[in-house]
Amino acid sequence: MNRDPRPDPLIEGLAGLADDAPPRLLDRIAARWVRADSPVGAVFVAFTDRGVAYVRRDGPGVAEEFRRRFGRPLLRADSPPDGLAPALLGGGTAAPEVAVDLRGLTGFQADVLRAARTIPRGQVRPYAWVADLVGRPRAVRAVGTALATNPVPLVIPCHRVTRSDGTLGQYIFGADAKADLLREERAAAG
Amino acid sequence: MRVIEDVDQWFVELYDQHRGLVFSAALRLSGARGDAEDLAAEAFLRAYRAASGYGEERRAALRTRAWIMTILMNVWRNHLRAVARRPPPDPLDDAADPPDAAESVEQAVERQETSGELAALLRRLPENQREAVVLRHVGGLSIGEIAEALGVAEGTAKSHVSRGLSRLRALAAGLDQGGFR
Repeated sequence: MNRDPRPDPLIEGLAGLADDAPPRLLDRIAARWVRADSPVGAVFVAFTDRGVAYVRRDGPGVAEEFRRRFGRPLLRADSPPDGLAPALLGGGTAAPEVAVDLRGLTGFQADVLRAARTIPRGQVRPYAWVADLVGRPRAVRAVGTALATNPVPLVIPCHRVTRSDGTLGQYIFGADAKADLLREERAAAG
Repeated sequence: MRVIEDVDQWFVELYDQHRGLVFSAALRLSGARGDAEDLAAEAFLRAYRAASGYGEERRAALRTRAWIMTILMNVWRNHLRAVARRPPPDPLDDAADPPDAAESVEQAVERQETSGELAALLRRLPENQREAVVLRHVGGLSIGEIAEALGVAEGTAKSHVSRGLSRLRALAAGLDQGGFR
Protein backbone atom coordinates (compact mmCIF):
# COMPACT_ATOMS: atom_id res chain seq x y z
CA MET A 1 0.00 0.00 0.00
CA ASN A 2 3.04 2.24 0.02
CA ARG A 3 2.99 2.51 -3.76
CA ASP A 4 3.08 5.98 -5.18
CA PRO A 5 -0.47 6.56 -6.48
CA ARG A 6 0.82 8.82 -9.23
CA PRO A 7 1.55 6.90 -12.40
CA ASP A 8 5.16 6.92 -13.56
CA PRO A 9 5.01 8.52 -17.02
CA LEU A 10 8.11 6.66 -18.20
CA ILE A 11 6.65 3.25 -17.26
CA GLU A 12 3.32 4.22 -18.79
CA GLY A 13 5.07 5.48 -21.89
CA LEU A 14 6.92 2.18 -22.28
CA ALA A 15 3.72 0.18 -21.80
CA GLY A 16 2.19 2.38 -24.50
CA LEU A 17 4.81 1.17 -26.96
CA ALA A 18 3.13 -2.25 -27.10
CA ASP A 19 1.24 -2.81 -30.33
CA ASP A 20 -0.79 -5.58 -31.93
CA ALA A 21 0.70 -7.59 -34.77
CA PRO A 22 -0.54 -6.59 -38.22
CA PRO A 23 -3.16 -9.05 -39.56
CA ARG A 24 -0.92 -10.09 -42.45
CA LEU A 25 1.73 -11.47 -40.08
CA LEU A 26 -0.04 -14.83 -39.73
CA ASP A 27 -0.09 -15.24 -43.51
CA ARG A 28 3.67 -14.82 -43.58
CA ILE A 29 3.93 -17.83 -41.27
CA ALA A 30 1.08 -20.22 -42.02
CA ALA A 31 -0.06 -21.71 -45.32
CA ARG A 32 -3.75 -22.10 -46.15
CA TRP A 33 -5.38 -25.04 -47.84
CA VAL A 34 -8.43 -25.69 -49.96
CA ARG A 35 -9.82 -28.60 -51.93
CA ALA A 36 -10.45 -27.93 -55.58
CA ASP A 37 -11.63 -29.71 -58.71
CA SER A 38 -9.14 -30.39 -61.43
CA PRO A 39 -8.89 -32.49 -64.59
CA VAL A 40 -7.25 -35.26 -62.52
CA GLY A 41 -9.97 -35.19 -59.87
CA ALA A 42 -10.16 -33.51 -56.45
CA VAL A 43 -6.88 -31.92 -55.42
CA PHE A 44 -5.52 -30.52 -52.20
CA VAL A 45 -4.03 -27.04 -52.74
CA ALA A 46 -1.85 -25.21 -50.20
CA PHE A 47 -0.84 -21.60 -50.70
CA THR A 48 1.08 -18.88 -48.88
CA ASP A 49 1.08 -15.10 -49.11
CA ARG A 50 3.47 -15.55 -52.05
CA GLY A 51 1.30 -17.90 -54.07
CA VAL A 52 0.32 -21.52 -54.66
CA ALA A 53 2.90 -23.76 -53.00
CA TYR A 54 1.58 -27.31 -53.25
CA VAL A 55 -0.90 -29.25 -55.38
CA ARG A 56 -1.48 -32.95 -54.86
CA ARG A 57 -4.29 -35.42 -55.35
CA ASP A 58 -6.49 -35.16 -52.28
CA GLY A 59 -6.15 -38.12 -49.98
CA PRO A 60 -4.78 -39.46 -46.70
CA GLY A 61 -1.39 -38.10 -45.72
CA VAL A 62 -1.38 -35.16 -48.11
CA ALA A 63 -1.37 -32.56 -45.32
CA GLU A 64 1.35 -34.46 -43.44
CA GLU A 65 3.44 -34.54 -46.59
CA PHE A 66 2.99 -30.78 -46.96
CA ARG A 67 4.17 -30.19 -43.39
CA ARG A 68 7.13 -32.48 -43.82
CA ARG A 69 8.19 -30.70 -46.97
CA PHE A 70 7.45 -27.09 -45.98
CA GLY A 71 7.51 -26.95 -42.16
CA ARG A 72 4.66 -24.48 -41.96
CA PRO A 73 1.37 -24.53 -40.08
CA LEU A 74 -1.50 -25.40 -42.37
CA LEU A 75 -4.81 -23.64 -41.84
CA ARG A 76 -8.07 -23.95 -43.72
CA ALA A 77 -8.58 -21.11 -46.18
CA ASP A 78 -11.80 -19.12 -46.38
CA SER A 79 -11.49 -18.99 -50.14
CA PRO A 80 -9.13 -20.21 -52.85
CA PRO A 81 -6.44 -17.84 -54.15
CA ASP A 82 -7.42 -15.68 -57.12
CA GLY A 83 -7.10 -17.45 -60.42
CA LEU A 84 -6.74 -20.94 -58.98
CA ALA A 85 -9.58 -22.60 -60.87
CA PRO A 86 -8.44 -21.58 -64.39
CA ALA A 87 -4.83 -22.36 -63.43
CA LEU A 88 -5.78 -25.93 -62.44
CA LEU A 89 -7.56 -26.30 -65.76
CA GLY A 90 -4.28 -25.56 -67.49
CA GLY A 91 -4.85 -21.90 -68.13
CA GLY A 92 -6.00 -20.45 -71.40
CA THR A 93 -4.14 -17.75 -73.22
CA ALA A 94 -6.56 -15.28 -71.60
CA ALA A 95 -6.22 -16.67 -68.07
CA PRO A 96 -4.12 -14.53 -65.71
CA GLU A 97 -1.20 -16.39 -64.22
CA VAL A 98 -1.76 -17.40 -60.64
CA ALA A 99 1.20 -16.62 -58.39
CA VAL A 100 3.31 -19.58 -57.26
CA ASP A 101 5.56 -19.87 -54.22
CA LEU A 102 8.71 -21.73 -55.27
CA ARG A 103 10.74 -20.92 -52.13
CA GLY A 104 12.39 -24.03 -50.82
CA LEU A 105 13.34 -25.24 -54.27
CA THR A 106 16.86 -24.97 -55.62
CA GLY A 107 17.51 -22.31 -58.25
CA PHE A 108 17.76 -25.06 -60.86
CA GLN A 109 14.44 -26.63 -59.91
CA ALA A 110 12.72 -23.25 -59.97
CA ASP A 111 14.26 -22.43 -63.37
CA VAL A 112 13.05 -25.75 -64.79
CA LEU A 113 9.52 -25.11 -63.54
CA ARG A 114 9.44 -21.57 -64.88
CA ALA A 115 10.59 -22.90 -68.24
CA ALA A 116 7.85 -25.54 -68.23
CA ARG A 117 5.32 -22.85 -67.48
CA THR A 118 6.01 -21.16 -70.81
CA ILE A 119 4.79 -24.16 -72.84
CA PRO A 120 1.39 -23.20 -74.30
CA ARG A 121 -1.69 -25.30 -73.75
CA GLY A 122 -2.09 -27.86 -76.54
CA GLN A 123 1.66 -28.18 -77.11
CA VAL A 124 4.47 -30.31 -75.69
CA ARG A 125 8.26 -29.94 -75.45
CA PRO A 126 10.98 -32.53 -74.87
CA TYR A 127 13.01 -32.68 -71.66
CA ALA A 128 16.07 -31.61 -73.66
CA TRP A 129 14.27 -28.40 -74.70
CA VAL A 130 13.81 -27.47 -71.04
CA ALA A 131 17.44 -28.33 -70.29
CA ASP A 132 18.52 -26.00 -73.11
CA LEU A 133 16.24 -23.23 -71.94
CA VAL A 134 17.66 -23.24 -68.41
CA GLY A 135 21.21 -23.22 -69.78
CA ARG A 136 22.08 -26.78 -68.69
CA PRO A 137 21.78 -28.72 -71.97
CA ARG A 138 23.44 -31.83 -70.51
CA ALA A 139 21.18 -31.93 -67.44
CA VAL A 140 18.26 -33.71 -69.13
CA ARG A 141 17.96 -36.30 -66.37
CA ALA A 142 18.03 -33.61 -63.65
CA VAL A 143 15.27 -31.79 -65.53
CA GLY A 144 13.22 -34.98 -65.34
CA THR A 145 13.79 -35.19 -61.60
CA ALA A 146 12.88 -31.53 -61.06
CA LEU A 147 9.64 -32.00 -63.01
CA ALA A 148 8.86 -35.25 -61.20
CA THR A 149 8.92 -33.41 -57.87
CA ASN A 150 7.04 -30.33 -59.14
CA PRO A 151 5.22 -29.02 -56.04
CA VAL A 152 2.53 -27.36 -58.17
CA PRO A 153 1.55 -29.68 -61.06
CA LEU A 154 -1.29 -28.44 -63.32
CA VAL A 155 -0.57 -24.84 -62.20
CA ILE A 156 2.88 -25.35 -63.70
CA PRO A 157 2.14 -27.77 -66.56
CA CYS A 158 5.01 -30.22 -66.19
CA HIS A 159 2.80 -32.71 -68.07
CA ARG A 160 3.61 -30.79 -71.28
CA VAL A 161 7.20 -31.99 -71.10
CA THR A 162 7.57 -35.33 -72.88
CA ARG A 163 10.34 -37.66 -74.05
CA SER A 164 12.09 -36.90 -77.30
CA ASP A 165 11.37 -40.45 -78.57
CA GLY A 166 7.70 -39.54 -78.68
CA THR A 167 6.60 -41.44 -75.56
CA LEU A 168 5.08 -39.35 -72.81
CA GLY A 169 7.28 -40.17 -69.82
CA GLN A 170 6.31 -40.16 -66.16
CA TYR A 171 3.90 -37.88 -64.33
CA ILE A 172 3.13 -37.12 -60.68
CA PHE A 173 -0.52 -38.04 -61.25
CA GLY A 174 0.38 -41.12 -63.33
CA ALA A 175 1.16 -41.77 -66.99
CA ASP A 176 -2.51 -42.29 -67.86
CA ALA A 177 -3.46 -38.91 -66.41
CA LYS A 178 -0.68 -37.32 -68.47
CA ALA A 179 -2.00 -38.91 -71.66
CA ASP A 180 -5.58 -37.83 -70.86
CA LEU A 181 -4.56 -34.27 -70.07
CA LEU A 182 -2.51 -33.86 -73.23
CA ARG A 183 -5.30 -35.36 -75.37
CA GLU A 184 -7.86 -32.95 -73.88
CA GLU A 185 -5.54 -29.97 -74.29
CA ARG A 186 -4.77 -30.87 -77.92
CA ALA A 187 -8.46 -31.27 -78.68
CA ALA A 188 -9.33 -27.96 -77.02
CA ALA A 189 -6.51 -26.15 -78.81
CA GLY A 190 -7.14 -27.82 -82.16
CA MET B 1 -10.38 -33.47 -38.69
CA ARG B 2 -8.05 -35.20 -41.09
CA VAL B 3 -6.22 -32.12 -42.23
CA ILE B 4 -6.26 -29.91 -39.13
CA GLU B 5 -3.64 -31.50 -36.92
CA ASP B 6 -3.26 -30.90 -33.20
CA VAL B 7 0.01 -29.09 -33.66
CA ASP B 8 -1.65 -26.59 -35.99
CA GLN B 9 -4.46 -25.92 -33.54
CA TRP B 10 -1.85 -25.58 -30.82
CA PHE B 11 0.08 -23.15 -32.99
CA VAL B 12 -2.95 -20.95 -33.65
CA GLU B 13 -3.53 -20.66 -29.91
CA LEU B 14 0.14 -19.87 -29.33
CA TYR B 15 0.01 -17.24 -32.06
CA ASP B 16 -3.20 -15.61 -30.84
CA GLN B 17 -1.94 -15.49 -27.29
CA HIS B 18 1.51 -14.04 -27.98
CA ARG B 19 1.44 -12.28 -31.35
CA GLY B 20 1.16 -8.80 -29.80
CA LEU B 21 3.97 -9.45 -27.35
CA VAL B 22 6.30 -10.95 -29.96
CA PHE B 23 5.59 -8.24 -32.52
CA SER B 24 5.85 -5.37 -30.00
CA ALA B 25 9.16 -6.61 -28.62
CA ALA B 26 10.52 -7.10 -32.14
CA LEU B 27 9.30 -3.62 -33.10
CA ARG B 28 10.87 -1.89 -30.09
CA LEU B 29 14.13 -3.81 -30.40
CA SER B 30 14.54 -3.23 -34.12
CA GLY B 31 12.79 0.13 -34.36
CA ALA B 32 11.33 -0.71 -37.78
CA ARG B 33 8.00 -2.31 -38.63
CA GLY B 34 9.36 -4.24 -41.60
CA ASP B 35 12.16 -5.76 -39.54
CA ALA B 36 9.71 -6.45 -36.73
CA GLU B 37 7.47 -8.46 -39.05
CA ASP B 38 10.44 -10.44 -40.36
CA LEU B 39 11.69 -11.17 -36.85
CA ALA B 40 8.27 -12.11 -35.48
CA ALA B 41 7.44 -14.34 -38.47
CA GLU B 42 10.80 -16.10 -38.14
CA ALA B 43 10.33 -16.63 -34.40
CA PHE B 44 6.85 -18.15 -34.85
CA LEU B 45 8.04 -20.38 -37.70
CA ARG B 46 10.92 -21.66 -35.58
CA ALA B 47 8.53 -22.24 -32.71
CA TYR B 48 6.22 -24.25 -34.97
CA ARG B 49 9.06 -26.34 -36.36
CA ALA B 50 10.43 -27.06 -32.89
CA ALA B 51 7.02 -27.86 -31.45
CA SER B 52 6.20 -30.19 -34.36
CA GLY B 53 8.92 -32.50 -33.07
CA TYR B 54 7.89 -32.29 -29.43
CA GLY B 55 4.88 -34.51 -28.98
CA GLU B 56 1.72 -33.48 -27.22
CA GLU B 57 2.88 -33.88 -23.64
CA ARG B 58 5.98 -31.76 -24.01
CA ARG B 59 4.02 -29.09 -25.87
CA ALA B 60 1.43 -28.98 -23.12
CA ALA B 61 4.15 -28.56 -20.48
CA LEU B 62 5.76 -25.56 -22.18
CA ARG B 63 5.62 -22.21 -20.44
CA THR B 64 4.89 -20.70 -23.79
CA ARG B 65 5.45 -17.02 -23.05
CA ALA B 66 9.06 -17.39 -21.87
CA TRP B 67 9.63 -20.06 -24.54
CA ILE B 68 8.51 -17.99 -27.54
CA MET B 69 10.39 -14.96 -26.22
CA THR B 70 13.55 -17.04 -25.86
CA ILE B 71 13.16 -17.97 -29.53
CA LEU B 72 12.54 -14.34 -30.49
CA MET B 73 15.66 -13.20 -28.64
CA ASN B 74 17.74 -15.81 -30.47
CA VAL B 75 16.30 -14.65 -33.78
CA TRP B 76 16.98 -11.04 -32.78
CA ARG B 77 20.60 -11.74 -31.85
CA ASN B 78 21.17 -13.62 -35.10
CA HIS B 79 19.74 -10.61 -36.89
CA LEU B 80 22.08 -8.26 -35.01
CA ARG B 81 25.07 -10.40 -35.97
CA ALA B 82 23.94 -10.40 -39.59
CA VAL B 83 23.69 -6.61 -39.75
CA ALA B 84 26.77 -5.99 -37.59
CA ARG B 85 28.90 -4.98 -40.56
CA ARG B 86 26.43 -2.43 -41.82
CA PRO B 87 26.69 1.14 -40.47
CA PRO B 88 24.14 1.77 -37.69
CA PRO B 89 21.16 3.98 -38.52
CA ASP B 90 21.13 7.45 -36.99
CA PRO B 91 19.16 6.93 -33.77
CA LEU B 92 17.50 10.33 -34.13
CA ASP B 93 16.33 9.70 -37.68
CA ASP B 94 12.83 8.88 -36.54
CA ALA B 95 12.73 11.37 -33.66
CA ALA B 96 9.98 13.98 -33.78
CA ASP B 97 10.08 17.72 -33.21
CA PRO B 98 12.53 19.09 -30.64
CA PRO B 99 10.98 19.36 -27.17
CA ASP B 100 9.74 22.62 -25.73
CA ALA B 101 12.35 23.88 -23.22
CA ALA B 102 9.61 24.70 -20.71
CA GLU B 103 8.37 21.09 -20.55
CA SER B 104 8.84 19.05 -17.41
CA VAL B 105 10.40 15.57 -17.62
CA GLU B 106 6.92 14.11 -17.18
CA GLN B 107 5.49 16.21 -19.97
CA ALA B 108 8.41 15.33 -22.20
CA VAL B 109 7.90 11.60 -21.57
CA GLU B 110 4.16 11.95 -22.22
CA ARG B 111 4.80 13.72 -25.48
CA GLN B 112 7.43 11.20 -26.44
CA GLU B 113 4.90 8.43 -25.95
CA THR B 114 2.78 9.83 -28.73
CA SER B 115 5.59 11.14 -30.91
CA GLY B 116 7.65 8.00 -31.00
CA GLU B 117 10.54 9.78 -29.34
CA LEU B 118 10.50 7.42 -26.37
CA ALA B 119 10.93 4.58 -28.85
CA ALA B 120 13.93 6.43 -30.27
CA LEU B 121 15.40 6.93 -26.78
CA LEU B 122 14.97 3.24 -26.12
CA ARG B 123 17.18 2.52 -29.08
CA ARG B 124 20.00 4.53 -27.49
CA LEU B 125 20.29 2.15 -24.55
CA PRO B 126 23.08 -0.43 -24.48
CA GLU B 127 21.80 -3.64 -26.07
CA ASN B 128 21.42 -5.71 -22.88
CA GLN B 129 19.58 -2.91 -21.06
CA ARG B 130 17.30 -2.27 -24.02
CA GLU B 131 16.39 -5.94 -24.29
CA ALA B 132 15.62 -6.14 -20.57
CA VAL B 133 13.58 -2.91 -20.51
CA VAL B 134 11.59 -3.90 -23.61
CA LEU B 135 10.79 -7.35 -22.21
CA ARG B 136 9.87 -5.98 -18.77
CA HIS B 137 7.99 -2.78 -19.54
CA VAL B 138 6.77 -3.09 -23.13
CA GLY B 139 6.21 -6.85 -22.97
CA GLY B 140 5.23 -7.15 -19.32
CA LEU B 141 7.39 -10.21 -18.65
CA SER B 142 8.40 -11.15 -15.12
CA ILE B 143 12.05 -10.97 -14.09
CA GLY B 144 12.14 -14.78 -14.13
CA GLU B 145 10.83 -14.88 -17.70
CA ILE B 146 13.30 -12.22 -18.79
CA ALA B 147 16.20 -14.13 -17.25
CA GLU B 148 15.09 -17.23 -19.18
CA ALA B 149 14.61 -15.38 -22.47
CA LEU B 150 17.98 -13.63 -22.21
CA GLY B 151 19.83 -16.63 -20.80
CA VAL B 152 21.10 -14.72 -17.75
CA ALA B 153 20.66 -14.93 -13.98
CA GLU B 154 17.62 -13.20 -12.46
CA GLY B 155 19.85 -10.72 -10.62
CA THR B 156 21.47 -9.77 -13.90
CA ALA B 157 18.10 -9.36 -15.62
CA LYS B 158 16.85 -7.19 -12.78
CA SER B 159 19.96 -5.04 -12.88
CA HIS B 160 19.71 -4.56 -16.66
CA VAL B 161 16.10 -3.40 -16.26
CA SER B 162 16.90 -1.00 -13.48
CA ARG B 163 19.99 0.48 -15.14
CA GLY B 164 18.11 0.77 -18.41
CA LEU B 165 15.30 2.69 -16.75
CA SER B 166 17.74 5.06 -15.03
CA ARG B 167 19.49 5.70 -18.29
CA LEU B 168 16.19 6.30 -20.07
CA ARG B 169 15.23 8.87 -17.43
CA ALA B 170 18.57 10.58 -17.88
CA LEU B 171 18.19 10.57 -21.65
CA ALA B 172 14.66 11.99 -21.38
CA ALA B 173 15.88 14.70 -18.97
CA GLY B 174 18.77 15.50 -21.29
CA LEU B 175 16.37 15.88 -24.17
CA ASP B 176 14.18 18.11 -22.04
CA GLN B 177 17.12 20.43 -21.44
CA GLY B 178 18.15 20.29 -25.04
CA GLY B 179 21.18 18.28 -23.96
CA PHE B 180 21.25 16.15 -27.11
CA ARG B 181 20.51 18.86 -29.64
